[in-house]
Order: sequence, then C-alpha cells, then structure tokens
Amino acid sequence: MRLSKPHGLPGTLICVEGIDGSGKSTQLAILRDWLKAKNLDVIFTEWNSSDLISQTTKKAKKKNLLSPRTFSLLHAVDFADRLEQIIIPAMKAGFIVLADRYVYTAFARDVARGVDRDWVRNLYGFAVQPDLALYYNISAEISLERICSNRAPSFYEAGMDLKLSNNPYKSYVIFQNRVNEEYSAMVDEYGLVRIDANNTIHTKQVLLRKYVTELLKQKGIEI
Amino acid sequence: MENNRKAHNHKGLLIVIEGTDGSGKSTQIELLRRWIEDKSYGCMVSEWKTSRLIANVIDDAKDRNLLNATTFSLLYAADFADRLENTIIPALDAGFVVLLDRYTYTAFARDVVRGLDFEWVKKLYDYAPEPDLIFYLDMPIDILLKRVIGTTGLDYWESGRDIGLSTDFYESFKIYQAKCLEQYNKMKPVYNFVSIDGTLPVEDIHNIMIEHVEKLLESGKLE
Repeated sequence: MRLSKPHGLPGTLICVEGIDGSGKSTQLAILRDWLKAKNLDVIFTEWNSSDLISQTTKKAKKKNLLSPRTFSLLHAVDFADRLEQIIIPAMKAGFIVLADRYVYTAFARDVARGVDRDWVRNLYGFAVQPDLALYYNISAEISLERICSNRAPSFYEAGMDLKLSNNPYKSYVIFQNRVNEEYSAMVDEYGLVRIDANNTIHTKQVLLRKYVTELLKQKGIEI
Repeated sequence: MENNRKAHNHKGLLIVIEGTDGSGKSTQIELLRRWIEDKSYGCMVSEWKTSRLIANVIDDAKDRNLLNATTFSLLYAADFADRLENTIIPALDAGFVVLLDRYTYTAFARDVVRGLDFEWVKKLYDYAPEPDLIFYLDMPIDILLKRVIGTTGLDYWESGRDIGLSTDFYESFKIYQAKCLEQYNKMKPVYNFVSIDGTLPVEDIHNIMIEHVEKLLESGKLE
C-alpha cells in the first residue's frame, strides 16, 4: 500500500494532527505565511473540504444520519477526492503541501468510534505518506474549555452517537480521550512527532519551523 | 482468490442476484419476490445504489464527471454500508427473505476493472454478511450488447468511458463489459455462484431459481 512507502515525489507533505482546540490550525496558518514570504510554492488543504462530498457529509452530520462506518467512508471519499485533485498534483509539481488533518485523524476518530483498526487502515491505504506529521497533544478537558467558550460540542464531536453519556460535555471528554489514546499509539506506529500543545503559540511555532527547516534542508531547500 | 467468509447468524435469508446490466436481474427478482410472498414468507427487495444517504450524490457526481476510480469505489461502498445497516440487516434480523439486486460482487468486478487492487476492495466490504444463495445470470457479450443497445442505450459509466478504453462508444462498452464478465467468471467458483444461462426464456430461469430457493427454505435455516 502506498501509505507504507516513501512517496518519491518532488513535493513535500507536512500534516498536523490533534483534537479540536489543540491550536494546530493556527500553527499551520502561521507556517504557511512564513513559507510564502520565503517565496516557496505552498498549498494548503484541510479535512472534509472537497467539492465532491463535504457539503453532503456536513448535512448528514447535522441530521445525525451517520453510523460509525458511513461516517468513516464519507470522510474517506472526501480525502480521496482531495488527494487526487489537490495533493498529488501539487506533490508532482514540487509544492510544499500543508494538510490540516490527514489520514491519522480517521485512524484516531474512527477507531475511537469502534470501527475496526485494520479496516480503516486498509481504507486509506492509497494515501501518500507524509514527510512530516505532527501531533499536537492537549487533554480532552482543555480542548473542551477552548472549543466551548463560544459553542456547545456538536453531536459527532462529542461522540454522542456512541451513547457514552447523555451529557454532551461529559461525552466529549470521554470520546476525545479515546481519540487521544489512538493518536498516542500512532507516535510509534507512524512516527508522529508529538508536540506539547499547552505551550504558547510562539514556542510552538519556533519548534515547528525548526522541524520544517530541517526537513526542507534534507530535500535541498535552504530557508 | 479465496473466499474465507463465514455464514451469517441473522434469522432471515440473504439471496443475491448478480449479473451485468441487461442480464434480466430486475425481472427475475420481481418474479421471485411474488413467488416467495405466495408461500407466505416475508420478502424484501433492495437494489444497488438506493441509499437515502448518498445515492443522489452518486448520480450527481456521475453526471458532472467528478469521479476517479477511488472516489467511485468509496461512494458505492458508503451507499452499500448505509443500506446494509438501515435496511438489509434489520430485515434479516426480523426474519425476512431479503432479495438483493447486486451485492459486493458488483463492486469487486467494477472496481478491479477500474484498476483498483482486489484485496483492497475485498477488505472494504469484509463486514458484509455472506449470502445464503447467489444467482448469477450469465450472458454472452454479443447478446448483452444487443439487449443494452435495444433498451437503455450505452451509458457513459457502464461503458467504462471514464477509464479511457476507447474513444469509440461501442468499442468502449464492449471492452468494459467483457472485462466485467471476466471478473464475474473468476468469482463464480470462489463464491459458489449458481450460474444460470441468461439467454434462456424468463420462465425457465425463474423455475431454476425457485428450485434452489425452495431447497433453501426447506433446509430449516430460516427460523
């Protein structure tokens, strides 16, 4: 499967992972601006944003129509569409591709939902292996504080489909703890780089730039 | 190719009719449904690509030529999962005889013809219950071509025009259908298809089918 082999393409694929409120999107946005300021070719893509299916998935989520398996499959459709339309062409053209969430999001969330571990790994076997995958780690409790400062957790975010608790806040913590456990296991399995997301934006950005600079240097790009 | 799946534990019976377009599946299913209901059994029919979740998205994406082999495969897999969970399994648990117009074998044939790895596709559907009986309506390519041209005409996707087999519509259809038939023929012995000559008169095919269904009903598997 493609995911288990180095991609061998001219481009560079960097992805950030972690539960909501870990600050990964902010980190990636700042990184993008910096790389662009260095006149590098950068492209950005985020989870569940394909033209093909993202609106359908969002609607189905609103109506609570999804089972763990259909939830998993629809996100895989989205990913497959973006992979073929955005990620692979950019990789072939030598871009730095920044992905806000990648296959590890599915591996963590879907397994936390009870989907078979091997099944979901096979499902995404066609994915390109990233050059660098960072896991921004914060506790479910802090994540809840951050995302619920202005809204309640949504049905699927809170894992309400799993009937863990009738209270969406309690359910969120139980479910996202499970997601974190799956991410943690992937540090060894896939070499995710674990980052303490409790640090300041600045500290985290300095660290991220260090990793990215080293990676690009290996590819012959000096910043 | 090996078939290592196990018999299902649901109360009902799962009967599948497979075959290419124009092989007469719908006609036979309707006759079989009436026959089963006449015998005072509960019978439910479910057709390929009819989920409330995703069927219209597939039609739309096909109309707009938005699909590649992987997204094509995954959308159908999502459609199947939704129907399985919401329609087929509940009916089986309630003790119905479920008649299915196409099953996972359709996906296996089409996806492999589109260049996907057979092991990958098989794993994608590995949670699906094994049918109690699989009929395959075997049609020689020349008769199949005439039937389709004489009824629905040459469909873009059913001609495999998305994979660039030929710029000639007729040639493309012929090559695509021949490749699908080749896959079905490979699956026949592996999955114990009851292969029936699709060129026989409708009544004869029906009689062969009810012979098998009668044996299954008398086998005591249905509680």
